[in-house]
Amino acid sequence: MLKGHLDMIVLAALSAAGPAHGYAVIEEIKRRSGGAFDLPEGTIYPALHRLELAGLLKSSWMTADSGRRRRVYTLTRTGSRALIERRAVWKQFSDAIGGLLGGTRPRENPA
Amino acid sequence: MIPDYLERLACELSFDQSLARNVRQEVEDHLWEAVAADPTGNMLAAQRRAIANFGDARAIAAQFAVISLARRSRRAGAAAVLVIAGVFIAMKARIAWNAAAQLAIGEDMRAVSGLVIQIDRYAFWLAVIIGLGGWAYIVSRRITAGFYPAYRRQLRRFFGLCCAATAALIVSVISDGVLTALLLRGTELSAGFLVPVFSMSIEIACVGILVFYIRGIRLRTASTAALLNT
Repeated sequence: MLKGHLDMIVLAALSAAGPAHGYAVIEEIKRRSGGAFDLPEGTIYPALHRLELAGLLKSSWMTADSGRRRRVYTLTRTGSRALIERRAVWKQFSDAIGGLLGGTRPRENPA
Repeated sequence: MIPDYLERLACELSFDQSLARNVRQEVEDHLWEAVAADPTGNMLAAQRRAIANFGDARAIAAQFAVISLARRSRRAGAAAVLVIAGVFIAMKARIAWNAAAQLAIGEDMRAVSGLVIQIDRYAFWLAVIIGLGGWAYIVSRRITAGFYPAYRRQLRRFFGLCCAATAALIVSVISDGVLTALLLRGTELSAGFLVPVFSMSIEIACVGILVFYIRGIRLRTASTAALLNT
């Protein structure tokens, strides 16, 4: 299930953390999910590259304090819009599942 | 331990040197940062843990290969449009030069040239339509996380469109070559020859670039499939 939502998770982490490198994105995901997502850390990087190619992120290289080259990712305006859309879809889905499992009625879709 | 892992990862990505270099630097930064954050203080164990948490080098490389292929395909789509535009400009420049230099095909070859012009025109516009269609098709596709069958089908379709556009463009360039040869036939050799010959060279180079990109997609697809299959 996580695999299908990886893009949304990465976008959300970058939205929360601001411009960040891959390691910081992974740390943000761990922190915000309470360590619930245990995925190979390496899978985040292809996701970051894919989102950049799709125009949802942009990246730039900088030199870290350690002297190593570091790639820092930033959400683009298109990325922010995509995250808003995905959040809305997720909310709708979550409400519907919550209604089914918890016995509560999902909120009416205003649209 | 980390340098070995980075070497393995870069080796798996050797089909795209620029990607291999960037990924290597990015992953190197990640792994050393993970080692620095390791609470045990045991350098060797920390490196081992950082690598284990990162995942199998080949599996990660396979995911990057899919993105590399998507990037290559998009570039090929854009290249097709630019190449067609380049051929168009070279063609128009030659026609303008021919008019300015008052070069004309002899009466005896008018019928043949009329037929070649028709072939040239239809082939070129066919290349424009297919090329633009191919580019629009590939940029509108979602870049998937894996090399899924649906994505493979999309790539096959795009590859077919690229090949069709290139074939049409080759016919158009050959027709241009025939027309240029007919035009220069029987004309005395002069510096004025250089313009049509140069413009023809540009057209041939443009087609060569497109063929190079198409070959690149073919090779990248094979590399990606090989990484995923073994």
